[in-house]
Amino acid sequence: MAEHLLEVRGLTTEFETRDGILRAVDRVDLYLDPGEILGIVGESGSGKTMTVLSIMRLVPRPGRVVAGEVIYRGRDLVQVSEQEMREVRGAEIAMIFQDPMTSLNPVFRTGWQVGEPLRLHKGMGLRDSIGQAARMFRQVGIPEAERRTANYPHEFSGGMRQRAMIAMGLTTAPPLLIADEPTTALDVTIQAQILELLREIASQFGTAIILITHNLGVVAGMCDRLMVMYAGRVVEEGATEGVFARPKHPYTWSLLRSIPRLDADEREPLHPIEGMPPDLTNLPSGCAFHPRCPFRIQRCIDERPELVALVDGQRAACWVTQAGTDLELAATGDAWGGDG
Amino acid sequence: MIGSSPEIELEEGLEGREFVRPPESYWRQSWVRLRENRLALAAGGVVLFLAVVAIAAPLIQIPIHYGPLQQDLTDNFAPPFKAPHWLGTDELGRDVLIRLVFGARVSLGIGFLTVLIATTVGTAVGLAAGYYGRWTDEVLMRIVDVFLAFPAIFLFIGMSILFRPGTLTLSLIIASVGWAGVARLVRSETLTLKTRDYMLATRSLGARDLRLMVRHLLPNVLPILIVSASLGVGQIILIAAALDFLGLGIQPPTPSWGSMLSNAQTYFYHSPWLVIFPGLMIFITVLATTLFGNAVRDAFDPRLR
Repeated sequence: MAEHLLEVRGLTTEFETRDGILRAVDRVDLYLDPGEILGIVGESGSGKTMTVLSIMRLVPRPGRVVAGEVIYRGRDLVQVSEQEMREVRGAEIAMIFQDPMTSLNPVFRTGWQVGEPLRLHKGMGLRDSIGQAARMFRQVGIPEAERRTANYPHEFSGGMRQRAMIAMGLTTAPPLLIADEPTTALDVTIQAQILELLREIASQFGTAIILITHNLGVVAGMCDRLMVMYAGRVVEEGATEGVFARPKHPYTWSLLRSIPRLDADEREPLHPIEGMPPDLTNLPSGCAFHPRCPFRIQRCIDERPELVALVDGQRAACWVTQAGTDLELAATGDAWGGDG
Repeated sequence: MIGSSPEIELEEGLEGREFVRPPESYWRQSWVRLRENRLALAAGGVVLFLAVVAIAAPLIQIPIHYGPLQQDLTDNFAPPFKAPHWLGTDELGRDVLIRLVFGARVSLGIGFLTVLIATTVGTAVGLAAGYYGRWTDEVLMRIVDVFLAFPAIFLFIGMSILFRPGTLTLSLIIASVGWAGVARLVRSETLTLKTRDYMLATRSLGARDLRLMVRHLLPNVLPILIVSASLGVGQIILIAAALDFLGLGIQPPTPSWGSMLSNAQTYFYHSPWLVIFPGLMIFITVLATTLFGNAVRDAFDPRLR
């Protein structure tokens, strides 16, 4: 495809801290087409949220985007004025947040809040916007939608609040929806309902969705493509099935291996990833994952690998796989890989 | 419809019953809590009564037959509890009761007006400082610090000498100190509120700063403002009375409780009612507003929940 809905190139966001410059987002590239669901996976602090906040230009101080482009429908959002950016937020790109308990303002009725983007962007009046909010409530499966718009957030359950948040994001029918761990704060049943809702939205309205999660199961069930982040960098990117079938980065490989399997021998130990996520103000040399990597070679310590296309558009930033090594074979063939 | 909600089978006889609670707003809950507090109701009643008296002062004058400035030198120092001067007269034969009634206008007027001015200014400054942060915060808060550090009584005295005070001027003078405290309060509240998720969420909808501040943030500050305002009225009435007493407040012949007290010092031994009644009025008013303010705090302060 020639022109993507969203194309991010070399996006870099830094925070000036007392301990030095912290690079929360490090030369991130990504793209997204209409109706597509892209999953961003990574540990806490890997830069998932900062990446999307950088796209929205909502990075909290003292952080700022220091380099890169965010091309949305032919415009570079990094360069546009704040005024133009406000017109993008909520109308073109909407965002829903992790914790529905705190993402709604406690002093306003939910209907009023869900109608807010319409008043901001479509010049709609109070009455019309709340009427539209009720229709959105029905769309996202809130029962007794009409009556519920008069409720305050504390009268909603967690799942209903997240539905209300989704309704708020979708009232203006934005082409792009960013969902930052939308189900983390919810219990498993509600989680499944919310994800189902998001999937239906993508297929029904052609809304492109960036789904941030640390749950690989969610990615497997939802996303067309998947991007794995580590220490602010993209370490692997590709079609979901491809990445799950043959991960090309040791971090992805370790993540997938660390998931407990129901069909596994019960005596088989779990496979955690050894070590800790790195300190962003003091990153390891070369590949940031090398201290925890079972496949490490000397080059990983000396040089930082770039994201390179390997198979079927699957890209990985790893010297080992770029040299042609198959991680699964290497792991079973060696003592330090197969501890089971 | 996207997403399905499971139909819940209701037990026999429960169908059609109301299970959804009516919407309960924060304000409604607070109001209910306030109404349950008897002391608050009594104190509020006193404040309301005084306010009505103050507003209706010219009407009250009619049955009393005396104006607040009307002198009768043949009937000065008349003792209280006797017609026609139920609370006695002062050294110029002026009726104490009607002077107290008109004094309520001054005291309550200054109390409420000052709080209004101080709260408005303080809120605007505190919101801006807390919301924008950085140099805006630095500049505004240093100004606030100056006002808080300056000995208030000297400021009052100096300003009272410069501007011959009426109700409005005196309110402005007292508010010129009071706003700084409100600004601090609002700023600290804004600092915590602006980091809330819903503020980021609203920003992600494309709202501009002014709308975020006034429409989305301010309502969350309001409970605390109500508390500070209702507690402030009593304090300000005391300050105003003190200034009147020092002769720096409302100027004679306009009756005010403070100046009546001050005036009566000389005659305290042979006409104690001239001291007791204005003193009692100040006491009752401040006590009632403070009690009411406390009750409002208990009912509204989100931090006490």
